[in-house]
Amino acid sequence: MTSSIVFDHLSFSYQNTTAPALQDISGEMSRGSFTMVMGHSGAGKSTLCCAINGLVPRFLRGDYAGRVMAEGMEAGKNSVPDMARAVGIVLQDFEAQLFSTNVELEMAFGLENQCLPRTAMEERIHTYLRVVGLEELLRRDTATLSGGQKQRLAIGSVLAMETPVLVMDEPTTDIDPEGRHQILSLIRRLRTQDRTLVVTDLDAEAAVQADQIWLLRDGQLLAKGTPAETLTDSSLIESCGVRPLATIALFQAMNWPGQPLTVDAAMAEIENQGLLRPSRPEGRAISALPPGKVILETRNLSYRYPAGSTNALSDIDLTIHEGDFVAMLGQNGSGKTTLAKHFNGLLKPTAGDMFLRGRPVNNYRRDELAREVGYVFQNPDHQIFAPTVGEEVSFGPRILGIDRKTLERNIAEALDATGLSGFEDKNPFLLNRGERQRVAVASILAVKPAVIILDEPTTGLDYVHQLDTMEMLKRLNQLGHTIIVITHAMWIAEAYARRSILMKEGRILLDGPTSEVFSDETMLAAASLAPSDLIRLRNRLGLAAMTLTDMVKELRGDNIVIPFPNQR
Amino acid sequence: MIMNLTFYNDEATWLHRLDPRTKICGVLLIFVICLCFNHPLFIVGILAGVLAIFTTAKSLKVLWKLRFLLVLLFVFSVVLWPFFIKGKTILLEWHGLEVSRESLLYGLAMGLRLTTFVSAGLLLLATTKNEEITNGLIRLGIPYPVAFALATAIRLAPTFADAGATIVQAQVSRGLDLDSKNIFSRFKRFAPLSIPIFISAMRYTNFLAMALESKGFRPDAPRTSYYEPQTTGRDWLVLGSLMLILAACLYLRLSLHWGIIISGRL
Repeated sequence: MTSSIVFDHLSFSYQNTTAPALQDISGEMSRGSFTMVMGHSGAGKSTLCCAINGLVPRFLRGDYAGRVMAEGMEAGKNSVPDMARAVGIVLQDFEAQLFSTNVELEMAFGLENQCLPRTAMEERIHTYLRVVGLEELLRRDTATLSGGQKQRLAIGSVLAMETPVLVMDEPTTDIDPEGRHQILSLIRRLRTQDRTLVVTDLDAEAAVQADQIWLLRDGQLLAKGTPAETLTDSSLIESCGVRPLATIALFQAMNWPGQPLTVDAAMAEIENQGLLRPSRPEGRAISALPPGKVILETRNLSYRYPAGSTNALSDIDLTIHEGDFVAMLGQNGSGKTTLAKHFNGLLKPTAGDMFLRGRPVNNYRRDELAREVGYVFQNPDHQIFAPTVGEEVSFGPRILGIDRKTLERNIAEALDATGLSGFEDKNPFLLNRGERQRVAVASILAVKPAVIILDEPTTGLDYVHQLDTMEMLKRLNQLGHTIIVITHAMWIAEAYARRSILMKEGRILLDGPTSEVFSDETMLAAASLAPSDLIRLRNRLGLAAMTLTDMVKELRGDNIVIPFPNQR
Repeated sequence: MIMNLTFYNDEATWLHRLDPRTKICGVLLIFVICLCFNHPLFIVGILAGVLAIFTTAKSLKVLWKLRFLLVLLFVFSVVLWPFFIKGKTILLEWHGLEVSRESLLYGLAMGLRLTTFVSAGLLLLATTKNEEITNGLIRLGIPYPVAFALATAIRLAPTFADAGATIVQAQVSRGLDLDSKNIFSRFKRFAPLSIPIFISAMRYTNFLAMALESKGFRPDAPRTSYYEPQTTGRDWLVLGSLMLILAACLYLRLSLHWGIIISGRL
């Protein structure tokens, strides 16, 4: 096979940084192959992608050594627009790269740069909109597309340029499970098109279909090999910040023979080898937590955006108790964020009522609300402004007029809870995304609100940081804070939330203990969601446990405790 | 999405189909026509004309989106102008400040004129895609980088407004009081809002530049255009009519001295 991309001892460090982003990367990707690049955040995945089309070092500057060849063109020696003849790249923030008025023009942009005549453009646009499944949306305003559609458009517009190499940097981040599923099946279809595919992702489940997996850690190429070679080594991929495959992890923990990469393969192994004892494990202890007082309550709440023609929320009746740990799930646009913004009065219901401790939210002053309900926005960069972490975290309590002594204690506690002690004098803008996310949480924590709402707290974080964040929320919950998490990451809801609320088209589809909600795969599918591989296995095996450790215990016949919150 | 500030209104009316060059020139002509009179009644007539065009372009809702801004501009103009203009018929005198019938009417006219300006501009944005505006500007002889920068600015305004709205919400959630009347607290809330907005704008534009170059874009290289506007008889008809109207207005003002509240002023 001829090689399409060649890395030849590539090293790179960004300007004004000391740690190298990439160190001595060598390797080949053959023409028509599909390579998945994985690693923790900051491992150098994006840098590697950008090195293929010359954005590194032409646009993102720094110390560059070695070379990268893509389809015979040397990336460092050609300009980025020249490299665009050989390499198409879909950058990480797909929303920001959609630039045109409508779908058709977005598709045309690259082709216009290639100076294609109009008729040829038309043909390409139609062909590739069909490939990405957007042919119906030719004239749609790109801003009105769903996350999955936007990402497919971003991919389609690069595909249309018919470059022999296609690079996609984390194409499934920030997208709901349905959109993610669409992208993964699109990648599967692209495999038949004889293009060299390079994709980065954080999820091992997405990597199963690749020809080759490259594992990066701290800028070094730690391992490369087929999925069967790399993904079966759970400790290796975990050391690279990637969550191991649930199937492999379960088989290893149970000492079962076989290394199935998918749920279907795992079920086949279990059945063929008779791994599961015929009797279902008995004697599960179920503990009922005493319900806390009602803290948030909506009655018949509906909301319509000022410019909207339909209700974003319709007739929501919901009670949340003190000490709850709630996950709000649903597709993009299902109303999760809109509902959560009612909890702290950012939005006022068009009809119905929103109560906080039995008092209408409208009757609270802004500063009273901020003390009761903290809201961590999805993107930490939307709130960070201070030159030091300490100042940033103290902003909330200071403007709320909390006295100096309490303030200092609160800040110390908030920094401690988020693992940021010792960061007081650091510049928040120089921290990585995971750390900035924690600064944002700390700055809300410092006010000590009874309820903490987090919108997609794990977006853009790798597995290790996701775990850190969620363990921190668990601790806060144990300290008595009510936690409400809006998330697309199913495993987070599964492993941490006691209660899950499924939303669809502005209504609550299902609301109950997480273990029950995730048993109902039909209902989840109705909300365009699917459980993680671990829970799919659990459901097929008829288990009650929600985490790997509990599943192993349950399969061995030990007692486990599934906390069920009492509600309503 | 918190706010939707994109003005383009996707319809297929006669106005949408006009050559973008015609629309750009047309809007400039309407600007000049507005300058012909300073009597509110005459400007009301022009505004009514613009609104009529909005109706035929099925785009009144774009105007509705900006109703607060339009009303604000109008009110400011009407309230402030009378204090700077002297007229004959004094209605009110107070510590050397005087308001006359003429100055009041002139203020009204200026308010209406501003509203008409903004409306006419919106008419262009509501019926012309960003790409068409770029294309039109280039064909009018504006250098490509300039045209592209202009169109990009129009394109990015809603994006930044959206990021701005999110940032406001994020800081209000932390207890930032935006309703406070106190000057000092006003100053204090400047940094929490402006720094994240500035940084997100910087990040965004930098990122966009990377995305554009990665798709083979260079500002100085030739490129083809997917939408090629066609100039038809209708375009000439529109331009001709507007020129005629302008000529008529100039005649009314300069020869017949119609539509004047205060002479010697635009």
